[in-house]
Amino acid sequence: MHSFKLISTFIKINVQMAMAYRADTIVNILLNLMWLGWELLTLNIIFSNTQTIGGWGFGELIALLGVFRLVNTMMFALIWPNTEKFNASIRDGSMDYTILQPVNSMFLVTFSRITIWRIWDLILAIVLITVGINISGDLIIPLSIFHFILLATSGVVIIYSLWIVLIALTFWFTKFDNNVTILHALIDAGRYPSTVYPIWLQIIVTFLIPIAVATTIPLQALRGDLEGWRIVMFFAIGIASFIIASRVWKSGLKRYSGASS
Amino acid sequence: MLNIFKRLWQVNWAEQWQYRANLAMYILYWLVSPIIYLSVWTSIATINGNVKGLTANDFITYYMILLIVDQLTSNIIIHTFGYKVQDGSLSGELIKPIHPMLTNTLVNDIAFKTLNMMLLIPIWIGLALLFKPQFDSVSLGGIALAIPAIMLGYAINFLLSGIITSLAFWTTRVFSIHEFYYALIMLFAGQFVPLKLMPEVIQNIARVLPFQLFMYLPIQMIQGNLSASEITQGYMTGILWLVAALIGFQIVWRKGVKQYSAVGA
Repeated sequence: MHSFKLISTFIKINVQMAMAYRADTIVNILLNLMWLGWELLTLNIIFSNTQTIGGWGFGELIALLGVFRLVNTMMFALIWPNTEKFNASIRDGSMDYTILQPVNSMFLVTFSRITIWRIWDLILAIVLITVGINISGDLIIPLSIFHFILLATSGVVIIYSLWIVLIALTFWFTKFDNNVTILHALIDAGRYPSTVYPIWLQIIVTFLIPIAVATTIPLQALRGDLEGWRIVMFFAIGIASFIIASRVWKSGLKRYSGASS
Repeated sequence: MLNIFKRLWQVNWAEQWQYRANLAMYILYWLVSPIIYLSVWTSIATINGNVKGLTANDFITYYMILLIVDQLTSNIIIHTFGYKVQDGSLSGELIKPIHPMLTNTLVNDIAFKTLNMMLLIPIWIGLALLFKPQFDSVSLGGIALAIPAIMLGYAINFLLSGIITSLAFWTTRVFSIHEFYYALIMLFAGQFVPLKLMPEVIQNIARVLPFQLFMYLPIQMIQGNLSASEITQGYMTGILWLVAALIGFQIVWRKGVKQYSAVGA
């Protein structure tokens, strides 16, 4: 309850900040639409030259684009602005004030900045997923939808946890302000089914920087491609990674000693 | 003048050398999308035998060459110069009797590029071992033909970016404008796919725009895929754009500097 109240306060503050730059918000949405047009054009070009890619058809790639946009939105609406603020707070010591608050510091650090206009991206993502599945003509049973939501959520949690670990490393290596670059650089790999990549790249995007776990795998669950034990496994990995990330965050926090000391 | 450039080089090289660790991260950004597109198109070419006559190896060589050409023709002045306008540190450079953009920023960009290449080459060799491109169609003549095209591409890109960056004198939204410019490059330079596979309309527009000199044309020259008339046409279009960009840059720059009143004034 408490955190819901906090999140709605954060949203309110961030809406106010966005309202100060109304024209920027409009420009950003227009640019976002432009990139959507570009993404659809690239899919169109791909499928005017082939029937399938990595075993998936046109509709499925539209749906994948939707799932990718969910992760991408988290990247740009949450991870990017909060990391910037976090890195600055480590440099100038304003992290002190965050720790003094009577709320979980990990929660505060990761949710205080939200790029509001990106919420529109979430709506777009859901539209793309729905339209994509309709085009693909795949028979979707309610259970698959449940699996999809389960794995998409745990995929997002895995990326979130990886982010926590990456920024927590700053407590050990103060100069590590490139902390989320690797995540940011590899995120584009989520646009296509990971099955098209060479093995070494598949390993990277599945195990090292698990973008595919949040994009390809939930969609595989939706198509009914995943066995039951795998669904359970990926869900368990989601929970486990969150627990590990919280631990890493706590022990990192113990090392924090302010900017001047 | 030569002495000025020499001195600027020493300063900028030392400055860039300081940040060499960050470069590794920057290179990573650079590598990801060509590798993704390479994988996508080789997998399509493998399933279907070929894509409009292009084999899997054609795609591999295309993107492997693209990694180098793209690095050579691009620039980062929107980041280095844009901030100078916004935080006012440009003032110090304006009182010097040399052009800030065409000397200091240019040399800084080239130093950055040189350092990037030093890092990129070993990575590129590693990627070549992984993807095993067959450079059968690549000839020394093709490479020699592509070098002026790459320089032309770099010059045009630098001036056009210079125009966009100079808009920072008027507006704080240069990054949005630059994003649009970047989208044009994506669309017309052949980054996603060799332009040959793009819809006819886009190919026709691309022919009169300078963007294909940034990637597509030099790559095709190196691969030996262009006829003599295509090459002449590419160079002619490029030279016209170079002149236009140079004039445009001079006008925008002059007006911009007059407009500029530094932060805090």
